[in-house]
Amino acid sequence: MTRVTGQTPKISLRNVGKQFTVRASKDQPEGTTLTALEGITLDVAAGEFITLVGPSGSGKTTLLDLLAGLTRPDTGQILVDGKEVTGPGRDRAVVFQQYALFPWRTAAANVAFGLEGTGSEGRRLNRKERADKARHYLELVGLSGFEDRYPHELSGGMKQRVAIARSLAYEPDVLLMDEPFAALDAQTREQLQEELLRIWRATGKTIIFITHGIDEAVYLGQRVAVLSSRPGRLKQIVDIDLGERSGDGDVRSDAVFVEHRHKVWSLLHDEVRKAQDAGHAKIRPDGFAPDEAPQLSKGQISTGRAA
Amino acid sequence: MTAPTLTKDAVAPAASAAPTADAGWTAGAARSPAARHLPSLVRAIARKAGRGIWASGAIVLFLLLWELGPTYLASASTRVFLPPLHEVLRALGTLIDKGQLQNHLAASLTRSASGFGIAVVSAVALGLLVAWYRSLDRFLNPLLEVFRNTAALALLPVFTLLLGIGETSKISIVAYAAFFPVLLNTIAGVRTVDPLLIRAARSLGLSNFRLFQKVILPSAVPTIFTGIRMAGTSSILVLIAAEMVGAKAGLGYLIVNSQMSFLIPDMYAGILTVSLLGLLVNYLLVAVERHFSRWRTAVGSQSN
Repeated sequence: MTRVTGQTPKISLRNVGKQFTVRASKDQPEGTTLTALEGITLDVAAGEFITLVGPSGSGKTTLLDLLAGLTRPDTGQILVDGKEVTGPGRDRAVVFQQYALFPWRTAAANVAFGLEGTGSEGRRLNRKERADKARHYLELVGLSGFEDRYPHELSGGMKQRVAIARSLAYEPDVLLMDEPFAALDAQTREQLQEELLRIWRATGKTIIFITHGIDEAVYLGQRVAVLSSRPGRLKQIVDIDLGERSGDGDVRSDAVFVEHRHKVWSLLHDEVRKAQDAGHAKIRPDGFAPDEAPQLSKGQISTGRAA
Repeated sequence: MTAPTLTKDAVAPAASAAPTADAGWTAGAARSPAARHLPSLVRAIARKAGRGIWASGAIVLFLLLWELGPTYLASASTRVFLPPLHEVLRALGTLIDKGQLQNHLAASLTRSASGFGIAVVSAVALGLLVAWYRSLDRFLNPLLEVFRNTAALALLPVFTLLLGIGETSKISIVAYAAFFPVLLNTIAGVRTVDPLLIRAARSLGLSNFRLFQKVILPSAVPTIFTGIRMAGTSSILVLIAAEMVGAKAGLGYLIVNSQMSFLIPDMYAGILTVSLLGLLVNYLLVAVERHFSRWRTAVGSQSN
C-alpha cells in the first residue's frame, strides 16, 4: 500500500472550477450563477485509492462528472496521463449510486455493454469473447452463476456488483465511484467495501471514491480529500495509514482508525454546519440547485445526508 | 365473487386458519395430512377447471341467450332481425364453403395490415425525431394536437374525395387512425428513458447514434408496443367503417351489403367474424408486447 511518487500523476486537477447558471425564476428573471467548485488542485497517483468527502452541495458529484468528461470545467484543467480530458473516455469508468443497469439486459449482457463498441486496440470483440469477458468479470465480483439474471431479479448489493463488473470489463485505468454503496444496507455495504479493496489490490486500478460516510472514506482511502461547503474547495487532504490490514480484524475499532476518523470528522464538521446554515442541498445534474432558488426560505432543506 | 375466494383458499396453506363456513371442502381437504399430496394435484386441476368455467361463464350465457332468446322470448317479427345463433353459424359455414368470407377477410386484412404497417413505421420514425429534437416538437406539436383530436372517420369524405373510392383511400384512413397512438407512445417512451441510464451510457463514450440504438430505443420499446396495440384495435375499427361507406369487398361491405339484401344471418356472420378478428389481433399484439417487455415485469413489485 505504498503510494507511487515521483512519476507523472495519473490524474491531475489544476485549479478546476465549475459554475452553473441557476434557472431564472419569477423573482430573478435574469437567473444567477452558482459556483459549485472553485480552485481544486489535486494530484492522484497511478494505482492510488483516494476518497472524497464533503457536505451536501459541496460539488462532489460535479467533480466526478468533470473527471468522467460528462461536463467541462469553466476554469482550470483536468489531466489524465498528462492529457487534457475533453469528453468521456474508455480510460475512465463511472460507478453510480443508483447502479444504472440496463433493465432489459441480463447481468452478463450488462457487463458486456461497454465491450460492444470498438475496443482500445481498434478491434471489435466477437460475441464469444464478450461473453467470456463478462463471465470473467462477474466472477471477479463474486457473481458466478448469475449471468442470465435480469437486474430486477437481483438484490441491491448484487446490482452494484454487476455495475462494478461492467465498469471493470472494458479495462479502464481509473474507476470513478459516486457514493456507490450509499443505497445499500450496512452489512452489504461492509461486504462490498471489502470486495472493492480486494478488487483494487488485484487489478491495481486508480480509484476516486466519493462518499458522505466518514467511516467509509477512512476505511477505503489511502488519502481522504475533504471538500469545503459551497463553493467546493479542497479543504485538506488527510493521509490514512492503517498499517498492513490482515483482513479479518475489526479495523474500524482500531485506535489508529478512530484517530483518523476523528480527524476527518473535525474537518468536515464545521463545513457541514456551514452548509446546513446556508441550507445547501444537492445540485442536480442540470445545474438546478433547489436551495439557490430565492423564493425558498433558507435553512428549510435538510442536509442530514452529509456526514 | 364466491368462486375466486374458494380458489384462493385452496392456494394458501393457511386455509385451515381461514373461516371455513363457505370454503367448505377445500379447507377440509387441506387439513387432513394423510390426503395431502395426490389430492393437491386433483385440486389444482379442479381449481383450473373451475376458474376456466367461471371465466367463460358470461360468454356461454350470452351465446345461450342468443340461441334461445329469439326463439322463445322475441316476437316473430323480431326473430327475423335477430336470428338464433345456429342460423348465424350455418350462414357462416355457407359463406366459408363458397369462399366468400375468405375473400372479404383477405380484402380487409390486406387493407388494415398495409395501413397499420405504414402507420407504425412512419409514426415510430417521426416519434423518435420529435422526442429527440425539442424544437421540432414545439413546431409540430400544435398541428399534431389538432389532427389527433379530429376523429379519423370525420375525415373519411375528404379521403374519398381526394383519393377515390379504391384501396388507397381505405389504406390511408387506416394509416391515419393507427398513426397517432403509435406516435404519442413513441414520444412518451423516449421521453421517459431514465436519465441516469443516458448518463451511464455517455460515460462509456457512446455516440449519439449508439446511445439511441442501445439505450433509448430498447428502453422505449415496451411503451411503443402499447401504442402499437392500441393502433391495431383502432385500425380494424376504422377500416370496417370505411368499408361500410364505400367498397366492393371486405368485412364492412359484407355486413352492410347483407343487411341491404336482407340476408340477416349473413350480416351477423360478418359481425361475428369482425369480433373474432379483433380478438385475435389484440391477442397477438398483447403477446408481442409482453415478449418485448419481459424485463419490465417485476419493476412494480421491486423498487431497486
